[in-house]
Order: sequence, then C-alpha cells, then structure tokens
Amino acid sequence: MFAEDSPDWNLDLNGSADCELCGEEPATMHLLRVVDGSISHTHLCATCAEQMAGEQTEGLALVLAVPSMLRGFGKKGSPDQREATGGSTGNHEESFCGSCGTTLTDLKESGVVGCANCYRVFADHLESTIRREAEPMEHLGKVPLRGPEIDSLRHEMMRLERMLRELVEHERFEEAAGVRDRLAELGHSLDGGEG
Amino acid sequence: MSAGVLTASAMSLSRNDASRRFCHVEDTSALEDLRSEVLGTLKGEHWDRPWRVYDLDGMSLVEVTHLVERGLMTPTFAEETGEGRGFAVYGNNQASLEINGVDHFNLIGFREGDRLEALWSLLSLLDDRLESAVTYAFDPRWGYLTAYPAKAGTGLRAYATLHVPALMLTGKLAATALELVGHGLGLAPLWGGAGGVVQISNAARQTGPETELVAEVDNMARAISEKERSVRKMLMREHPVQAKDQIGRAIGVAQHAWSMSFQESVNLISAAHVGVEQGLVECPALSAESAFSLMGRLQPAHIVMDHMEAKTDVLESPEIDEIRARVMREVFAGSRVR
Repeated sequence: MFAEDSPDWNLDLNGSADCELCGEEPATMHLLRVVDGSISHTHLCATCAEQMAGEQTEGLALVLAVPSMLRGFGKKGSPDQREATGGSTGNHEESFCGSCGTTLTDLKESGVVGCANCYRVFADHLESTIRREAEPMEHLGKVPLRGPEIDSLRHEMMRLERMLRELVEHERFEEAAGVRDRLAELGHSLDGGEG
Repeated sequence: MSAGVLTASAMSLSRNDASRRFCHVEDTSALEDLRSEVLGTLKGEHWDRPWRVYDLDGMSLVEVTHLVERGLMTPTFAEETGEGRGFAVYGNNQASLEINGVDHFNLIGFREGDRLEALWSLLSLLDDRLESAVTYAFDPRWGYLTAYPAKAGTGLRAYATLHVPALMLTGKLAATALELVGHGLGLAPLWGGAGGVVQISNAARQTGPETELVAEVDNMARAISEKERSVRKMLMREHPVQAKDQIGRAIGVAQHAWSMSFQESVNLISAAHVGVEQGLVECPALSAESAFSLMGRLQPAHIVMDHMEAKTDVLESPEIDEIRARVMREVFAGSRVR
C-alpha cells in the first residue's frame, strides 16, 4: 500500500514560503510530527529544521520530508522570478499554448501545464523555475519505443487539428483549407515514419 | 517469522498520452475515448496474464478502500472523482493500472518484502506493452511529460515500507529523515505513524536511469534497517525493564481486549514483533504469518470483506473493532512472554 503524499508533494501554493520558526529564511523543509495519532505540519528553513531534529529526544514521531521543489511555482516565487516577471513585457505575460489554451499567467498561478506542447511554449519559464543545479537536466532514463520525432509530429498534428476546428467554426474556410493540407502532409510523414 | 525491517516494496509509473491534453483540462469525451481505447488493448492477447477491469461507478466505498489497503490502488486515485476514470488489475494482483487520474496512466505494483527490482522489471514490461496502444508524451530533455513539470522525468516512484518502531520511539527518525532529504528521498508515515511503520520514496523530479533510482531507495532502506536493528539492541541493553514492560503489556492487551482500533492493533503487533525478534516472546502464529501481513488484514475494509461478507458500507463501527479484537485474541492465544 501507498502512504498519503505529504503536502510537499502536492502543490501547497497557499503555504508560507518563509520559515515558520525564525520567519527570516525561506522554508525549504517540511516537518511532519505524529504525536498520539494527531499529525501536524510545519514549514522550516534548513537551520531551524536541523535544530528541532537535534532537540527531539522522545515522542512517537518526528518526520522531516523533502524540500519542496514545487514551491518555486508558488505565487510568491523566488526573488529571481519576481525580478524576471517585473522586468518582462506585457506581451511575454500573454504567451499561451495553442494546443490547450493554457496561458503563462495560468502556469504561474497554478504550477501546472495543460498538455505536452506547453513544455515547448513555456520552455524558458519552466527551465528557470525548475532548476536542477546538482543534477543533469537531461532525461537519462527510459525512452518510449516510438521515437521523439514521431512524438513531435503528433504534437504538431494535435495543434493543427484544434486550429482547423476553430477556423471552421469561424467560417474562415480558405485558411482552414491550408491547415487541412498541412495536416494531410504530416499524416503521410507519420505513416512513413511508423511504417 | 521474518525479522526483516524492510516489510514491503511498492512502485508507480506514470505516463500521459501525447495526443490529448492532460486530465485536468481535457474534455470528458476525450478522456472516455482514451479509457475505451486502453481497456480494449488490455483485452488483447499480447499480455502474459489477463487484466481484470473494474467498474468504478458500481463499486462501494468498502470495495474501493479494499483495493487501496491491498496496495492495488493509490489513495489519491481512490479519492478522485474525475470523469473518464478506469481501473484494471493485472494477473493475480501482480500490478494494476489507473486510467485518467492525475495522469492518463499510472501503473502500480506492490509486494511484501524486498522486491523493488522485480517490480521495476514487471512495470517496465507492462509499460512497453501499453505503448503499443498509446504514443507517450515525451521530450528528450524533460523525459516523460506530466501536468506537473516539477515531476516530469522518469515518471517512476519507488517506495520501501519499513518497520522502525525503535527509531521512532527514540526520536532518531528525524535525523534519518534529514539524511534522506540529502539523497532526494522523502519519508512519510504509512498508517498515521502507528507501530513505527513508515515509507521512504524518491521525491519530486527524477531524471533517471530508473535502475539507479531503484537501487538508491533499496540501499537507503537497507541502511535504515541496520540502524533500526542496532537501536533495538541498544534499547534492550540499556533499558531492559522498560522494553520488557512495553512488550509484555502489548501481549496482555492483544490476548484479552474485546474492542480495538486499527491503530492500536498495529502498535501492539509492532511491539510483539520486536519481542519475538529479541527472544522475549513466543508467538507461534507470528511464525506462520509476517507481522506486516497481520497488520494488513486488520485494516477496516479487510475486516468488512473477510469477516462481515461486505454487508456494510461503513469503515468505522463498534462491530469492526470487536471483530479486530477477536482476530487479535485468536492470533496471540498461544503466545507466551518469557
């Protein structure tokens, strides 16, 4: 069976970003205590967490969970992010994903993306918020049996299919015909790639 | 009985379909189509064992909770109510598939004992077969894509369940958890911390390779197990009266109580298990069945399914507590404190 995820593994966006003990350093640790069956959560900086761990000599449980990698997505954001957002233009704020309609503002508020294409549209934002300084950024694990080229073709077709539906809805038939032809071309490429 | 501290292994592998939006924004009809396509694939002949498909809408709270208690379904999926969800179990409960939960697909596996490597072999194989029906959302740099970019990567989460009452009792678990954080791992109590049963797992984004992630969780679980064994010996050496008192009282309550909560039963079994391991207690029943397995079958939905013929849809009742106490009395009837 599986333990319930700690709040750090959910998007605890409304939580405090500062240490609840000293109030000065950013909270990067999650302290979870289980005493007599009741559970309490505290967000602490590394120094305060270490201090509390050292002071704990008895009691049923004291558990420190992972530092939240997700907090970077929080509304407060890191100082770097705040600076970047403040310095950006209005046009940058309005960028959105043509496949699912997610906007950069949506992403900043919720921390979630709507589809695979969002990873390309919001690449700059995602890479600046999910820093992995200690680890290589590139995926080193398993890859799908079907290659990434076919994957990207499908992404493009998905985007064009949605575009086609919208153009037809708005009776922009000439533009729709062009998109339809492009879809047919990609369809042939996909068939060739898979064959 | 097994004196193992590492009591169980679990794993989840999440994937998404490249041609659809992620579950939280996708249309109901698109999610239902995806479910139909995949369930159709599960009925195909290219699987070594058959899949058993469940109708989630027709299942009671007890039936769903029973799946969660057996490690066949994640608590998160059980609590969700989204559209287009599907669920199937592979073979003789070797693995299961959650469809349209947080991700389009979540393959999960659970085994008693130290079985993480075997779980990865099976889930990776099922993952490859599932891919015959679906094009996975994948990016060479990010890995397998998900709605939560902080979790993009291998999609793999490996869990080791540990029985560490001595570390918990002495407050040494905090230092252990800090050490885990340094390795990118997390620690969470399994049953609200009852009995010192906790689960460690890899956390947040993991870029792989998967075999290294699995080995890291495995190695850390072994290191914690060694620490737990040494603290148990230290307690027996430095606080023999308190240790024997706690274990003796646990056997007494287990043999004579007539009503018992799940949490209490886990605490008692945990103490009895340590007593048997340290040679303080003779318990024939715990020689035939692991302490973890006994804890498992005392969970609420197990009691309702195994002893009440699933005739109730509540998971907390005086009758459940009475049955649990009866099972405990039967299990510990032949026990003796030396």
